[in-house]
Amino acid sequence: MTIILLWASPAVATALAILVRPYRRSVGEASVGLAALSLLASLWLAAQALSGTVTPATATDVSRVDSLSALLAVCITFVSLVASALGPGLGADRDGNPILFRRLRLARSAAAPELEAADDEDDPAQSRRFRIFQNAFALTMIVAVTANNVALMWVAIEATTIVSAIAIPFERSKASVEASWKYLLICSVGIALAFAGTVLAYSDFVSTAGHLPDALNWNILRNAAPSLHPELMKLAFAFIVIGYGTKAGLAPMHTWLPDAHSEAPATVSAMMSGVLLAVGMYAIARWKAVVDAAVAPAFTNALLITIGLLSVAIGAFSLVIQRHYKRMLAYSSVEHMGLVSIGLALGPLGTFAALLHLVNHAVAKSMSFLLAGRILRRYDTTELARVSGLLAAMPWTGPLFAAGILTLVGLPPFGIFISEFLLLKAAVMTDHVWIAAAVLVLLLTAFISLVHHLNGMLYGPVPAGVRIGESRGWAVMALGGCAIVLLVLGLLLPPPVAALLDRSIVELVR
Amino acid sequence: MDGLFSQLVVLGSSGMLLTAIIILWRRGVPAYISAYRWQSWLLAALTACVGYFGSDAGLYGGAIALVLLKGLGIPYLLRSMERRFGAQHELRPYVNTETSLLAAGVLVLFAYALARPWMAVSALPTRAGLPLAMGLLFVSLFIIVSRKKAITQVIGFLMLENAIALLAVVGTYGVPLLVEFGVFLDALMGFLVMQIFVYQIHETFDTMDVEQLTRLKH
Repeated sequence: MTIILLWASPAVATALAILVRPYRRSVGEASVGLAALSLLASLWLAAQALSGTVTPATATDVSRVDSLSALLAVCITFVSLVASALGPGLGADRDGNPILFRRLRLARSAAAPELEAADDEDDPAQSRRFRIFQNAFALTMIVAVTANNVALMWVAIEATTIVSAIAIPFERSKASVEASWKYLLICSVGIALAFAGTVLAYSDFVSTAGHLPDALNWNILRNAAPSLHPELMKLAFAFIVIGYGTKAGLAPMHTWLPDAHSEAPATVSAMMSGVLLAVGMYAIARWKAVVDAAVAPAFTNALLITIGLLSVAIGAFSLVIQRHYKRMLAYSSVEHMGLVSIGLALGPLGTFAALLHLVNHAVAKSMSFLLAGRILRRYDTTELARVSGLLAAMPWTGPLFAAGILTLVGLPPFGIFISEFLLLKAAVMTDHVWIAAAVLVLLLTAFISLVHHLNGMLYGPVPAGVRIGESRGWAVMALGGCAIVLLVLGLLLPPPVAALLDRSIVELVR
Repeated sequence: MDGLFSQLVVLGSSGMLLTAIIILWRRGVPAYISAYRWQSWLLAALTACVGYFGSDAGLYGGAIALVLLKGLGIPYLLRSMERRFGAQHELRPYVNTETSLLAAGVLVLFAYALARPWMAVSALPTRAGLPLAMGLLFVSLFIIVSRKKAITQVIGFLMLENAIALLAVVGTYGVPLLVEFGVFLDALMGFLVMQIFVYQIHETFDTMDVEQLTRLKH
């Protein structure tokens, strides 16, 4: 039942945004409410997965909810809620703080003309488009992580490309059209290759077990895996890693990522970078479990480590030469997905670290992108060289952005420190000391360049023409909430999260 | 019976591969569109053929859907797009014709090498079509990376989709119906969105050469 609520809330929100025209603010408010509802549903599912009351998916179920799916669903709905609450079309003051419950506020303070005057209304057509595609985007991602059928998962992931590509060129410019075209073409081609891999695995299944109606469901596939042909499964996995790796932004298929993530509006980049990449990694992790049952894990591990190290290296070195802060965040995503890929190849502890890293990265990266959106709104530039004095100009955004970047470079007490530490530990424990060393060097490179860029942004004189001071509104509180989540994940790693991760590993590592 | 069946499959698959290679040596976009249309009809015929010999009535429905969507619908949309932009020619592709044809040959050889383990374990009478489908897949990828016009890239992508549909038909006698439906929907939506962006590229850049799309670096 809960799963229906999880799927229905974004579906209803999408339908509402399509049907109500012209756009009204109540549509935006309703879609925030529905996003909160689907977050509650996914939390409930996670609780069920933990308490063991959830009935394990039978072979014929359309949806499956195990701990791993629930974990991803919580991340997706959380980021989607934050993006929805900070998105356009809710009425915003000049700092971009959406004024939720505006009528209440107006009622409370009858004299609020200055609030009224400060409002800069978003273009209704754009708000409508944002609401439609943001909700559709969330829906496709939720379906992707909860579908029981590998091919349906593929259909949902392909659909994420289509709906998010439309959301990128928010204001049509040469750069944004170029970014969406690259994104659409590269990801469509990549995902087509993933389907070729799925067909390969299915054809092997058909040739050993015959035509079964639900042969593409995870349980059946995984149980049948030991009898599949290793040669064929290796070929299938290569296709799948290239395909879903394109979606996950792994090098060398990452070329679309910095463009798309830097050109998209902040709320869309937050969802793309925070959770869409995680969905790609989810698909790879699930398939790895199937292929590992057919082939010795050494094969998949070697592939993931190679591609992961390459991604971390490309991400880290691209950070050094970055001149734009949104692209800087995008390359940092390439680096972090590389770390996740390496983690998946390092046994149970590595998988634990990788999944925890996905969670941390989802929160940290979406928060950073949303803050970058606020900085862009104030400074009107994405160039690092033209942003300075952030702490003085934006007393709330500045420290939060600093917290975001310090999380991303892996400083304690934030969450990513723990997951990176566990990852290195896993590498050492599985006798991959050289991997630990290489990762450490690359992380140091990323650390130095990110902190250097951050320093330039935080201190120095505020450029002329940039307004100083910032009101504390909803947006700041929501983003501050993200920072607190990161602190909690870093300081005490709540037992429910750890238990959820532990159970997910059982799904992935036999 | 099986002999005739596998010969028909090889014939159809080779025909599909050939239509992709046509794109490498023709220059005009109208020729590309008719090549794609021929390829889609061949794919539909092959699907029906597998349905007949494999006695799977569901595949007939798939064949009809293929004809309607890829044989008639998408070529019609491509043609109206082409008409709106005036005559489009792929005058100076990134890779010239001779090298392209050589590369296509190498790619097909590579596909045969890659498909060998698959051929070895498959007992289906259609297995001879597998390397050809893989070859078509690689040649379509090559079209996408070596050609400059956005519309040619779209056609390359559509051919890539045909290649995967061919792979599914000859490798597994078709994927389950629900999946088929989802894939169809995605193909259609993906094409429509790409069409929107081709128009946008044309409007914002005044050209369809993706060579102009070099604003974003590092």
